[in-house]
Parts: sequence; C-alpha cells; structure tokens
Amino acid sequence: MSAIENICGIQPSNFVKPDISSNPNFIFKNDINYTAKQLFDSEGNTVFVNSYVECQHYVLGGWDFTPIKNLETDLQTSLLYVMIFLVAVTFFKRKFRVLKWK
Amino acid sequence: MEVKKPKLVLVGLMFIAILVPWFNTELGNNFSVPEVSQEDVTFYEINPCKISLFQFISNNSESLYQNHYFFRPDNSSSIKCFGRISGVTVLQKGVETQFFISVGTSSLLNLIFQAVIWIILFSLIPKNNKKIVMSEKVKYKNLIILAVSYLLTFSIHAESRFYDKNFYIFEFNNLNSYLLIFLMFIFIVKNFVDTFQIRSNSIMNYLPYLFLFTGIFSGYNLVLYSIIFLFYGLVSLTEQKGSKIFNSVFLILSLWWLYNTKGSFFFSPGKIRGFTSSIYEFNASLFWITFSFLLLKGLWKVYTLNKDSFSILLFTKNLSLVSFFLILFGNLGSNFPIINFFNYYFFGLQRYGVDLNNPFAFDEFLVKISWRGLFPSSETIGEFYGLCLMFIIFVIIENKQLTKFHYLGIFSSALGLYFSNNRTAIVLIFFIVIFSYLRITKFYQIQKYKISITTISIGLLLLIFTLQSETWTESYNFMSESLIFKARVFQFDSIYSSFLLLINNPESSVIFSSFLSFFGFISYLLNRSEMWGLFIARYNPTFSELLIGSGPLNFGQLYGETVINSPESFLLPHSSVLSYVVFIGILPLMLLVVALFYLLLKNRHNYKFVAFSLYVFINIFKNDSLNYFSTFTLYALLFLLLYNRVKFNDDKSTLSAKI
Repeated sequence: MSAIENICGIQPSNFVKPDISSNPNFIFKNDINYTAKQLFDSEGNTVFVNSYVECQHYVLGGWDFTPIKNLETDLQTSLLYVMIFLVAVTFFKRKFRVLKWK
Repeated sequence: MEVKKPKLVLVGLMFIAILVPWFNTELGNNFSVPEVSQEDVTFYEINPCKISLFQFISNNSESLYQNHYFFRPDNSSSIKCFGRISGVTVLQKGVETQFFISVGTSSLLNLIFQAVIWIILFSLIPKNNKKIVMSEKVKYKNLIILAVSYLLTFSIHAESRFYDKNFYIFEFNNLNSYLLIFLMFIFIVKNFVDTFQIRSNSIMNYLPYLFLFTGIFSGYNLVLYSIIFLFYGLVSLTEQKGSKIFNSVFLILSLWWLYNTKGSFFFSPGKIRGFTSSIYEFNASLFWITFSFLLLKGLWKVYTLNKDSFSILLFTKNLSLVSFFLILFGNLGSNFPIINFFNYYFFGLQRYGVDLNNPFAFDEFLVKISWRGLFPSSETIGEFYGLCLMFIIFVIIENKQLTKFHYLGIFSSALGLYFSNNRTAIVLIFFIVIFSYLRITKFYQIQKYKISITTISIGLLLLIFTLQSETWTESYNFMSESLIFKARVFQFDSIYSSFLLLINNPESSVIFSSFLSFFGFISYLLNRSEMWGLFIARYNPTFSELLIGSGPLNFGQLYGETVINSPESFLLPHSSVLSYVVFIGILPLMLLVVALFYLLLKNRHNYKFVAFSLYVFINIFKNDSLNYFSTFTLYALLFLLLYNRVKFNDDKSTLSAKI
C-alpha cells in the first residue's frame, strides 16, 4: 500500500488530478463526503485536510508523518540496535570465559 | 536449605524487573485519573496508552479484588504502550457490569522480557559439576543456535495470519521486518542453551515446573522450552547417532504430509497455544513437521544425556511443591483479578486462570464444578495431581523417608485432584494405592492364587449378571447409538464428513458397524458421546489421511474443512488418541499401541512403569493431555525413565543438588 493510500484512503473512482503547481492561487474545496484527516510533518506541525486532492497534495509535499507509527518505527529501530549489542555481548562473553578457563 | 547470597540478589533484581514496566507512564502528565464506571469510561477512550497500570490501580483500588474486573494483555499495542492502559471496555452480563481493562503488552517486548525472566528463573536450578559441562561440549553449537533461531523466525512467517493480529506494526511480506525478531531469537536461544547446558543434569528432576511456568510467550504460538529440544534435536542430527529407521520413516511420512497439504484452514489455537499449528498451509505444515521431528529427537537426546541424574526423591519433592504452588496461585488468581493477569503473563499460560473463586462449588444439579486454577484444562491438571500422589506412593515403596515437602504434596495434590473433579484419575489412584499396599505388605505374593481367583470370579459374576439382564440389549443399543445421534446433531445441512457418510451407508461392513457400536458404548460410559460425536461430524479424511494422517500438531484441516453446527464453545476431541489419529493416522498409531503392549508385557515386573503407563494411557484415551507441551514432554521423559529404571538409587546419581 502506498503512503498516499495509507494516509488519505483509496483514490475516488472519478478522480482527476488538478494541476496545482501551475496555479499559485489554487484553493482546495471541501469534500463533504471526505472525512477530515490530520497530517503531520517531520517537525510535528499539523494540518487538517478536507478532501482527497488536498490530502494527496500535502502527503506528496512531505506531510506523511504519522507520529504514533513513526515513534513505533523509531522504537523498533532502537530495539534493533539494542539487540545487535546484546547478541554481540552474549557471544563475546562466552569467548572471554573460554579464554579465562584456558 | 541454605540459599546463596548471589541467588537472593538475582531474585531481588528479578522482582524489580518484573514490577518496573507496569509503572511506565507518559512523563509530565497531570491527568486526574477517574474511576471506571458503568456510565463513563470516556477518559480511557480518549487517552489510550497514557497512564500506567499502577496509576490505574491506585485510582481503582477495587479492581484489585472485585471479580468483575478483568485485566487483559493487549499484545497488538505499541512498544510505547507497554505497561500502560490501552483501553477499557464495559460489558453488561445479566445484572453484573464487567470491566475489561486492556494492558499494553507489545508482542515484540514480550518476547525479550518474558524470555529474560524465565531464563533468570531457570538459572536458579543447581549447576552440574565442571567435568560434566566439559564432556557435553557440542560441535557446531553456534551454527545450531542460528538454525534454531531461523526456524523460530520462520514460524512467525509461516503463521503470519495468527501473528497479524498480535503485532502493532509488522510487515510480514518484507524480509527486513524479520531481522529484529531473528536477532531476538538468537539472543534468547544462545542464553537459554548456555544456561541449560550447565544445569542439564538436574533437568529431569525439575520437569514438574513445566506445569507452573508453562513458558508460552504472550502473543506467540511458541513455548520457551521447545528451544532446548529443537537444539538437541539438531545436535542429534549432526552427530548422526539417532535411529536411521526413525529418520527414514519420518522423512517418508513428512514428504507425504507436505504433498498432501492443500488449501488453507485457519485454527485458533486457544488453550493448546504453543503446541499446535494455527493454520493448515504448506509453510506451517513444514514448520510443525520439522518441530515435531526435532522435538522427538531432542527428547531422546536430553533423556540419554541426563537419565542417570534422575532422583525420585527430588523429583517428587518438586511435584509436591508445584502442586502446592498451583493451588496457591490458582486461588490467588481467582480471587484477585490483577494476580490473575500477572499469573497469565509471568507463568506464560495458554489461557487466563479460572475466575470461579470457590473451588468447592457445586452447580444447581449438585454436580461438582471442575476447578482448574491456573492450568488451561481441569482434567489434565487433575492428572498431574494424581501423578504427584502416584510418585509419593513410589517413594514409599522404595522405603525412602518422606520429607515435609512430600506431606505438603499429599495434601495439595489430594485437594487439587478433588477440585479438578477428574474422576478417572481419582479411581486410578485409588487402585494404585490398594495395589501398592498389597505389594508393600507382600500380601499379594502370599495370597496370589486366592486374590486372582476372587477377582476373576467377581468379574465373571458381574458380567453374567449384566448380560443376562433383559434390559441389557436395549441399554447397549441405546448407549452405542448415542455417539451417532450426537454426530448427526452437529451435522450441518447436507454437508457430511466422510466418517458420517460411512456411518450412514447401509452397505457398511458388519465389522465396522460392530466396532462403531462398541466405540459408542465406551464413549457413553466415559461421558464422551458429545465430544466424540462432534469429532465424527468433523473428521473428513481421505483414505490415505485415515491411514497416515495429515501432519503432526495440526488441527486446521479437521476444524476448517467440514462445516458443522458448531457448539457454543471451542471443544477439542477430548481424546489424545483421536487427536493423534488426525495427526499421524491409524497405521503408525496402531504400531505405537502394539509397541506399548509389547513394552508393558516385557516390563510387567517393573511395577512403577506398569502403574505409570496404565495411569497415563487410560487418562489420555479420554482427554486431550497430549496436546499440551508440558504434559507431552513430562510423560515422554517419565516413560523412558521408568521403562529403563526399576530401582532409583539416589545416592549413586550424579546430582550436585541437595534434596
């Protein structure tokens, strides 16, 4: 599943992507059928989006951070490093003991 | 008994480690934690994973002792949420309002946290002397550790449907996701094997603790202790010392089981978690076939390495202590919801302890309600208490001095046996006590002829009286048909299992019909008509599957293939024999039964072996004991020990432990 689909939901069937970048005065219209979503950027700033097109635009612009999941990913990464360290210690500890016996 | 200071420090540190996670809270929060009530749990709905279990308890002190509170581990929560309250659910059951409090227990952390605690506890077992440690050096040890870790990681992949709901974030299709789990397994396997190796000599005497510390990781379908047997199974393979016939036969059967694995049938492991596959699929079958093979080889290897250090006194002392602790913690857990939760988590139980807080209770028909305490099955734990009494009798037969622990064991296991309401075990222990008494007093040897004649005469009189009765034929027909009647009740619409089709076929052979009638009669006598009827409604084997089964430790096909009118609760076949018919088929099973009779006949003068074997085999015929890892392991090792040892000379054992 792509990040857009993951955050914004499934793309509507009749969706046509407007050319937003060429229009500096583009205003996003609220979609009453779309449940508002809260997006986050890497610095923890937050914004609410009210349509699929708005959501897609923001996510492509880097507002694709989900704080809880990102925290979990970070914690899992930290746990991975801890495990590498522990595994290394476990194996070296045995080596050290064997040397000591000799 | 003198306890060494380092051990006390270790136990102290472990207690701190056990308590610390439940204080995990969001730092700097100034929540005013409200009491949960029937009307309002909104605080817990909008603040998941914000307050610690300790904070919850200190603001809801009645949750400690009122039995309408239920603490439940939430394995699918995040790492951050570990030890915190992840949600509260209110349920109305009749007039009682029940509160289910979910406590964050991330599966990833469970694996490492529970393993560390259990390994520390394991390290309390006395060490071998150094000579033995050196003589047990294993070739390719680290490679085997890696192989076991790989196998365990593979099980996560093979049973991803089960694990999918037990992990917060885990991409099962991404190979990189498994790296963390693999490293955790390496750490656990390495440390556990190292801890085990220097204590292996005492292991046979500490087997009863398998019933207290079941060792199943919360959120996993794995038992910690299986690591040892997988390791030694692989050691045995690398040494090429095992039976070539066993290896070849198992290989041929495995190829057939794998070839035959078609379709995908999910099975919720429930109370047999840790010793059954959660899905009938190729990968899961491959894992459980390998697991079973290595487990059997590992059991044999562990037995051959440590058989000489078995001490009946120490073993029985441990049986007695475990019986006592099972009753103690079972009672505490049924009276205090929070202890029930900690029992589940720290003992590694398959199922939450019973919440019926009166073990003496009777139902409205004045029938004793079975009380299982901590263990998932009241029948199996009843069997365990019976086993404790049986071994105490063996100690008396061996003219050994009973200690205060043995008296504690007699009291606890007699009480436990009554609580469990396992009538078969009660009757069998009664007979064992009588025969043992006759044996000790040498009455049997003196009056052998008279006793035999009296027993046979009474038996014959009872048989003639029953058979000549006019109502006998009617009663027999009624009893034998009850099984088929029950099977038809569970049959759904026009869907028939192959077993039911065979029963309904008027052209079925007379031999089959007579056998089935007799089987139905037995099921009625043992109060198994419903359970075995359910099995018949479900069991849908091809001819080959009937002969050689559909793979070890896999109920997926049985429970998923045929649609039936399901009963209200999850029910196992209630016969280990029927379970093993599904696993390995009737051919290997019949061979095993013949082998057992042969061994019994060959060892008929070995009183302890005969008493133990009959006790176990009569029990497992009517219950699911062999579907639990602890029971399977204990029975397999005791069978080997008692078969090969008539007399237990504790003085000559290589034990370093004091009794």
